[in-house]
Amino acid sequence: MSDRQFVIPIGPQHPALKEPESFYFTVDGETVIDVEPRIGYNHRGIEKAMEVRNYIQNLYITERVCGICSNAHQTAYTGSVEEAAGIEIPERAKYIRVFVQELERLHSHLLWLGVAAHEIGFDTLFYYVWRDREIVMDLLEEISGNRVNYAMPTIGGVRRDLKKDNFPRWRKLVDKIIERTEYYIKVASTEQTILDRAVGVGYLGKSDMIKLSGAGPNARCSGVPSDIRKLNPYLVYDELDFEHIVVDNGDVLGQVLVRALETLESCKILKQVMDKIPEGEIRTKFGPLNRVPEGEAAYLVEAQRGELIHYTISDGKNMPFRHKIRAPTMANLPSLVERLKGGYIADIPIVLAGIDPCFSCTDRMVFYDEGKDKKWTWTDADLRKYRKEWFEE
Amino acid sequence: MISILTAVQILLFPGLSFILSYTLYAEWLSRKTVARLQNRVGPLHTGWQGVLQPLADFIKLLVKEDITPAAAEKIVFNVVPVFIFAIPLAATFLIPIQSITNLWGYEPVAGFEGDLIMVLFLMSITVLAVFLAGWSSGNIFGAVGATRVAFMMLAYEIPLSLVAISPAIMAKSLSIINIVNWQVSSVQSFIANPTLPGFLLGIVLLIGFAIYTICLLAELEMRPFDMSEAETEIVHGWQVEYSGVKLGLLRSGHHVKMVLAAGLLTSIYLGGPAGPVLPPVIWFILKTSFCIIILSNLSALFARFRIDQMVSGAWKYLVPLAVLQVMATIALSGVI
Repeated sequence: MSDRQFVIPIGPQHPALKEPESFYFTVDGETVIDVEPRIGYNHRGIEKAMEVRNYIQNLYITERVCGICSNAHQTAYTGSVEEAAGIEIPERAKYIRVFVQELERLHSHLLWLGVAAHEIGFDTLFYYVWRDREIVMDLLEEISGNRVNYAMPTIGGVRRDLKKDNFPRWRKLVDKIIERTEYYIKVASTEQTILDRAVGVGYLGKSDMIKLSGAGPNARCSGVPSDIRKLNPYLVYDELDFEHIVVDNGDVLGQVLVRALETLESCKILKQVMDKIPEGEIRTKFGPLNRVPEGEAAYLVEAQRGELIHYTISDGKNMPFRHKIRAPTMANLPSLVERLKGGYIADIPIVLAGIDPCFSCTDRMVFYDEGKDKKWTWTDADLRKYRKEWFEE
Repeated sequence: MISILTAVQILLFPGLSFILSYTLYAEWLSRKTVARLQNRVGPLHTGWQGVLQPLADFIKLLVKEDITPAAAEKIVFNVVPVFIFAIPLAATFLIPIQSITNLWGYEPVAGFEGDLIMVLFLMSITVLAVFLAGWSSGNIFGAVGATRVAFMMLAYEIPLSLVAISPAIMAKSLSIINIVNWQVSSVQSFIANPTLPGFLLGIVLLIGFAIYTICLLAELEMRPFDMSEAETEIVHGWQVEYSGVKLGLLRSGHHVKMVLAAGLLTSIYLGGPAGPVLPPVIWFILKTSFCIIILSNLSALFARFRIDQMVSGAWKYLVPLAVLQVMATIALSGVI
């Protein structure tokens, strides 16, 4: 490291990061030379906690993996358990799950747009976007009774029904969101101060993105098609008509465009769901004592931030033997590091926010001895031994 | 007798008490304007429409814990907030507001030939104080903020001084009160006898007004030029380690500076406190409120620039434009 270079720590506590995560930036003047991310500040032991609770109790844990994609996690979890248990859910429940999921995508993308505006110091846009996001939040509250953790999917279906009388009013609200989103797309692609801060910032090309295997809007803004709803349709996405949004800007403007255009597509899906939703039951019974036969299942969901994988192993009891979650931010971290290199310090917040990071979903734990530069993981037996020692002390 | 009048002028009106209460009003006006533009309500509960909120905020900061970090240069760190507060306050004494012996007259508390240079000098000195504040705090974000302040000063200081001088060239005086008087007399003669050069001069001065407003936005570290305290990038930059009384002084100092900037803008481009029917102090309040609304409006309209974009933009557009503006003023001053 030369004299001109110094290290700026960003995080675990920093206004640009909404969650605790640490990055060490080696900077030369105002230019970023190298980035070292350190995850693990928010490890909550969720996967372990799921192993000692039954499948119904786990619904409430998976929902709390993340505050923004709570429904995506629950959809993936219920999907994987249903697949392992061989439960077929009613058609109406599938549509309702899609409806809530798309509403959640709307609220998440609008939230992201506001946060991105805030990161480049455009607070006016931030307030406007978040005002319009309230429409979605109110709609979600009306459907589920909650603004954040909707608790809609359950194993075997969904917990609440949609009332048909409300559809005309909801259609108007969706139209309002479409109108506002089109306005924001216009603002973001014409306002000069935004373009100055977005065009060419945090650029990553298509081939690099494929190499670093990003997910979600982060990959789609670099021209890599990655939408699980199209590539591996689940629920009823194959019956719905919507575009696979891919742009090849590769920079922050691309991130904005992908998410804004996806917002419009989500509105389209919402309208189609209201048109097509069949009558019928909304759930089949699955209680806390129901057992899932021995086996394993993986379920892929396109969460707002990208591909979300839930993988469950059952040993025939009423609680999972092992449940593994891979959240999209984990896949996006390598490309994030690449995006940050060579940029300005001033661009760090917007590039960081660009991938819509959710670090609490991501946290992993490894043991690392800095002196010996040695890494290892603990096996189940090690953990049990450690627990025994800890409690005996 | 004269000494009592001077004491009243300095302490009560239009000196310290008036300026400080006007500062609180200006902060409220600025916050309210930005809030309405951003579809919020802004301060609402303390006093009528929240007009006492700035005072409440200041008092709250006075009773908060005051921390001096171990890594800071203690003396500089503790002294600088006083300077940041006091220097713009002293400079407001040079702005003509109201004479206390004559209801229809106006004069600065302490004016002299060349006080325009003095005001510009004092405004630049506050920037240096800000640099010291960031540098002495012993925080890496403070240091980055401080260097950004210095960088920004390189960009806007020259066009700012240039366009401040062009009305002085026309008035053939460096005294703010003479510039105000020249504006009054030339506007009166233009209304009585409109001429083409007079009209052109009006346009040239309007350009000067625009450049001056942009430079003042940078001087005041308001959006889109607030990279020295960009919250999301460097955590309020040079202010990061300040708390309690010192933070209160910094914030008040910022708003005194805003009043000073609005007063200067009014004095050299909008005819100062002069105006028909109403006494000068009312005109001063009206015109400076207009300036503050313009500044707040601009700061709500844009995203923050990056420091390099700001510096290169200032040198590419503002400096040549300011030079042209001064040249046009000189050319027109020969005609008129």
